[in-house]
Amino acid sequence: MSDESTTYIAPEPKFGYPAGPKLDQQIKARHRRGQFWYVLLGASLIVSILALIALLYTIVNDAFGLAAVEYKNDPTRLVVEQQEKVMLADRDTVSSEDDRELAAGIMNDPYAIGFFGYAYYQQSSDNLTLLAVDGITPDAGNVEDGTYPLARPLFLYSDARVLENNQAANVFINYYLTHVNEEISDVGYFPLSAGRISQAQQTWKQANALDLPAGQWAAINPDGVGGSLSIAGSSTVYPLTQRMLERIKADGFVGDTSDESVGSTAGYRAFCVDGAADIAAGSRPMNQNEFASCRKIGRLPLEFAVGTDALAIVVSAQNDFLTAVTADELRLIFTTAQKWSDVNPNWPDQPIKRFIPGTDSGTLDFFVETVFPIALDELPQPTLVSILADNVSPGLGRRMESEQRFFADQLVFFSQEQWAEACDGATPYAGCTLPPRAKDSVLQLLNENVTEPNIVAVWKLVPSLLNRAAIEQEALEKYPAASLQFTSWVSTAFLRSPQSSTPELAGVRTAVLGSLWVVAFTALVSFPLGVGAAIYLEEYATDNRLNRLIQTNISNLAGVPSIIYGMLGLAVFVRALEVITSGTAFGAVAAGATANGRTILSASLTLALLILPIIIISGQEALRSVPNSLRQGGMALGATQWQTIWSHVLPSALPGILTGTILSISRALGETAPLVVVGASTFITTDPTGPFAKFTTLPVQIYQWTSRPQPEFQNLAAAAIVVLLILLLSLNATAVLLRNRYARRAA
Amino acid sequence: MATQSSVPPIATETFSAESLTKRPRIGEALIQVFLFSCGIISIFTTIGIVIVLAEEAIKFFALPQVTLLEYFTGTKWQPAIGYFGVLPLVLATIMISGIGMVVALPIGLLTAIYLSEYASPRARNILKPLLEVLAGIPTVVYGYFALQFMTPVLRSIFGVQQVQIFNVASAGIVVGILIIPLVTSLSEDALSAVPRSLREAAYALGGTKWETARQIVLPAGLSGVTAAFVVAISRAVGETMIVAIAAGSGPRNFEIGKDSLFGFIFNPFVAGETMTGHMVRISGGDLSYNSVEYLSIFSIGLLLFVMTLILNLIARRIVTKYREVYE
Amino acid sequence: MTLNSYAQNKHLAVEADKMSVYYGGFRAVKEVSLQIPQKAITALIGPSGCGKSTVLRSFNRMNDLVPTARVEGAIHYHGNNIYAPNVDPVEIRRRIGMVFQKPNPFSKSIYENVAWGARINGYKGNMDELVEASLRQAALWDEVKDKLAESGFSLSGGQQQRLCIARTIAVKPEIILMDEPTSALDPVATLKIEDLIQELKENYTIIIVTHNMQQAARASDFTAFFNMDADRAGYLVEFNETNEIFTNPKHELTEQYITGRFG
Ligand SMILES: Nc1ncnc2c1ncn2[C@@H]1O[C@H](COP(=O)(O)OP(=O)(O)O)[C@@H](O)[C@H]1O
Ligand SMILES: [Mg+2]
Repeated sequence: MSDESTTYIAPEPKFGYPAGPKLDQQIKARHRRGQFWYVLLGASLIVSILALIALLYTIVNDAFGLAAVEYKNDPTRLVVEQQEKVMLADRDTVSSEDDRELAAGIMNDPYAIGFFGYAYYQQSSDNLTLLAVDGITPDAGNVEDGTYPLARPLFLYSDARVLENNQAANVFINYYLTHVNEEISDVGYFPLSAGRISQAQQTWKQANALDLPAGQWAAINPDGVGGSLSIAGSSTVYPLTQRMLERIKADGFVGDTSDESVGSTAGYRAFCVDGAADIAAGSRPMNQNEFASCRKIGRLPLEFAVGTDALAIVVSAQNDFLTAVTADELRLIFTTAQKWSDVNPNWPDQPIKRFIPGTDSGTLDFFVETVFPIALDELPQPTLVSILADNVSPGLGRRMESEQRFFADQLVFFSQEQWAEACDGATPYAGCTLPPRAKDSVLQLLNENVTEPNIVAVWKLVPSLLNRAAIEQEALEKYPAASLQFTSWVSTAFLRSPQSSTPELAGVRTAVLGSLWVVAFTALVSFPLGVGAAIYLEEYATDNRLNRLIQTNISNLAGVPSIIYGMLGLAVFVRALEVITSGTAFGAVAAGATANGRTILSASLTLALLILPIIIISGQEALRSVPNSLRQGGMALGATQWQTIWSHVLPSALPGILTGTILSISRALGETAPLVVVGASTFITTDPTGPFAKFTTLPVQIYQWTSRPQPEFQNLAAAAIVVLLILLLSLNATAVLLRNRYARRAA
Repeated sequence: MATQSSVPPIATETFSAESLTKRPRIGEALIQVFLFSCGIISIFTTIGIVIVLAEEAIKFFALPQVTLLEYFTGTKWQPAIGYFGVLPLVLATIMISGIGMVVALPIGLLTAIYLSEYASPRARNILKPLLEVLAGIPTVVYGYFALQFMTPVLRSIFGVQQVQIFNVASAGIVVGILIIPLVTSLSEDALSAVPRSLREAAYALGGTKWETARQIVLPAGLSGVTAAFVVAISRAVGETMIVAIAAGSGPRNFEIGKDSLFGFIFNPFVAGETMTGHMVRISGGDLSYNSVEYLSIFSIGLLLFVMTLILNLIARRIVTKYREVYE
Repeated sequence: MTLNSYAQNKHLAVEADKMSVYYGGFRAVKEVSLQIPQKAITALIGPSGCGKSTVLRSFNRMNDLVPTARVEGAIHYHGNNIYAPNVDPVEIRRRIGMVFQKPNPFSKSIYENVAWGARINGYKGNMDELVEASLRQAALWDEVKDKLAESGFSLSGGQQQRLCIARTIAVKPEIILMDEPTSALDPVATLKIEDLIQELKENYTIIIVTHNMQQAARASDFTAFFNMDADRAGYLVEFNETNEIFTNPKHELTEQYITGRFG
């Protein structure tokens, strides 16, 4: 009664019961106890929700993430090489490492086109026309900020230890970084901004352990400095380096210098593999493989940006129809088009004369990488086939072609005579009758036999997002030859590829198709039987012993562990009824020969028995909810019982029946244990062809991957789970839609 | 009265007495036979299960190297070298079901009380589908979850040395999570079936919400809740994929007296294959008909079938026998 | 004795003051004002659906259990509005008990059915005595004294209802609400309950909803007659001593109703 708010309490104390303040306390204590339990109830609910979140988290965490991939053959390189080969093979194309020769060739032919470093264009700018690409003509601004599509940085690379031991190299780089912007425009390239130059200077200062404040530079006077200095690399950087060498010598440098224009790749090789060059010059950044090679010989490359080059796309000054091109036009001009009019009908009907740099210069690589798509799967099929042909042995190629041809009208590895002979012979190749390979199949062959990706390490999603820098560091140290890629394990390739023992090539195609076949047959068998039984029990069955037994039995069956159904299926469908389930009874031997009764049909029949009780029970519920007036109405019109059921009862129970059926089918879709027992194949790579085919299903596939020790297979399992859950979700969404539609109609 | 009606006279001749007699309707009869066969299939399924399991199990026990006594008392299961004691498998099954129950019963029951007594209709509309989602996830996914989430969590809590990669505890906990929705929905059905008048009576005596729920509603729904528990145990015993993936692939053979009781035999952090896990593993490999392994898994299957059947019958009996009849 | 004189001599137990009750948007009871005298039997009568049960259940906040229900106006109990926000319905119900239309024993033993309410409310005395006394008061003791451990369901309908009354008086409330407590019982059982109610009047205020005009006339001291308006909202037509209502109704509607001309 201490509390003003509770003064309404009855005045008379009741014998035996707490009264007054005691009563207040008692009730408060009871409420507190209730609140404690209320919190506990809420907490228990949260456990379930947390479990669901943890489950989804685990799956997503594994289905995406960084992976370190090593390739036997770098796919990018393959594509570039292939494109270059195509370009060089054309007889109207002139290729030379000497850019001056290219310039001279273009000048004199109004129908010529070519490209080379901007510097060479400047030397002959009077006789050449510079083309805008995608509407942008190169100038200092758009080249450095990269809006001009064909611009690229120029680099020198060296190593701290080399600079320490080789005074000539150290002083030369110092001199380079001091004066390059005074010369570069004259040579024909674009100067770097002050900021980027000072960044390069900072690298030099660090290599020399000079602790100067940012922005302060320690130019060294080269007068009298000597020693021997070897530079190798890009032909694009070459003229600039030559200019710097001339100037440093004029300033009193007395060293012994060699400067070779061999192309960026060769230059990096000389620096990183042979260790012959002290400085490498390049027109592209060093890639991870090159870094790794350097590390192997104890060199840690230091990168000095020295300028920017732009590729000049030029035509002769005599050309009167071209001032600008698009990237799409460029692709056509340098590959398939024969005449200018092939590219654009407004252009003259004259053959295109092409002038391009040779393969050793980084310039051609750069052009190809920038203008052409370089992802393997974006290439047209013929290109893929020719890459394949270039990179596999003829024997292997013939085997691939004998399994399935690459083209309908053309042979790649066989001659016409050989093929005709084999196909007319006693044991014709499978490829003689099969339709030609699809692009996916070619891509898969390329992956398996040429690029041969090999995942050496994987990281989960959350660390991949949060600790990317640390992971990059780790990957560089542990797997120098690998490239780090953000990988979505769920991808279109994953959906399209069949099972494979190489995790990076494996997919769920066969498993998904297997699941769909199995589930379709399961539904086909169990739906009519289940609905029939439900109708019998609800509409016909009288209350006698047998019918009660059936009813009890059905609910007991619903509680039998699914693996028991697997044993039933194994003994009955796989073993006893093998002639039927393997298809031999129907002469379907070709497909069933190896399946041994372990077929889609056996699996479906097993699952059908498994879900039958669920369909029956939900069907009964749906039928029970149909009002009796409907039945009486039908009967009163003189319809027989079946006519009434068929035209009145079933239609109005149908949505309920379908909902139950769909839910039980989603149960079948997720079922694993009985299928393992019935003998799902552990490894099949061919699509199931029918009810008598061997099979695997998505859950079985998940089980197998989960049981593998290698971590990549866990990623695959997670990805397959994502696919499975999406399938289930769409099934359930259908059920919900049906239910809602039903509810609306009933309302 | 002269009527000028144009309505044709009723064709009385169609109502001859003959047409009113019962006619055999072949179509109807055939349909009934078909529907009846659909119903009877379930009986055949049960008979099939019993025959198949019993037949192969009898063959198994007829093998000279197998004796019933050793089967039920032996503590080693190594068919390849002639040990046929099913106890290690049964023990793992019981441990995992036990752990699962410890997780699922309190959580499932408390959640059911929350849903039936406390949740507003709106909260119920959100929470029940959520539990349905949990119930609809395939068990192989839970197996993956056990291996990839629960095991690392246990190992980080109890130490990598203590907890093996494959262990009974993480499989058991996840089996528990799997059956929470089952316990919840069956228990909630039982609690919701308790008539409102009982709650009103309790409130009218001055009961608080919790007192009413705990002391009046729960005892009134107890038979249904108990049945839910028993069904859940049966489900846990029969659960396969989670244990096949996460509990280990080898029976935990032991020797009484030699192996430490809680360090090994009953240690939840050690691997232990269950009956179902063993059946999946053996049948997943190359299995030749009538080999000892082939026959042995049918004997285990029979044991499993009998165990779950008994549990389900108990549940049914509890429901029918102890259900209070409310008007 | 007129109502007013009675009210002056005796205290009021509880009083509804312009109370309206809504179920969602539907107004089931409209501005009812009603003064219930202490230690007397008040009957609520009226046609089916006019809100008698709703009014009755408002007196111990039983309507709180219906999520859509909402009460406007006030119910005064010992000078306090029981619908004030700081009032705990558990305390109200502990003091204002209720007996329902259908007997609803708990699924516990007969003994526990009676003891449960006492136990949760912290009864300190001798429980056996309380159970016996309550069962005796409910005129059930002789019939059940040998089977106290049996389930409450084992009793007949009339016995179950008396058990429910015993259970209610065991917590010693001040007021007992009864919603057609005999409508589900046979005439013999009904008679016993009616007699019991008469005895209870000594110690308790009783409000009883009844359908049965004779029951109201025979067994109550005061009668409130309710009717529905065109919107199906219930309202109080007339409240008076039972004698007055049945012999000399002020309202034409009341007369029509008690003479069975409608309802
Ligand atoms: N829980 C409820 N929800 C909605 N409407 C209700 C509820 N209970 C009663 N009603 C409505 O309130 C009105 C009065 O009901 P009630 O108090 O039970 O009448 P009586 O007891 O006089 O027959 C009726 O129209 C009834 O339909
Ligand atoms: Mg009523």
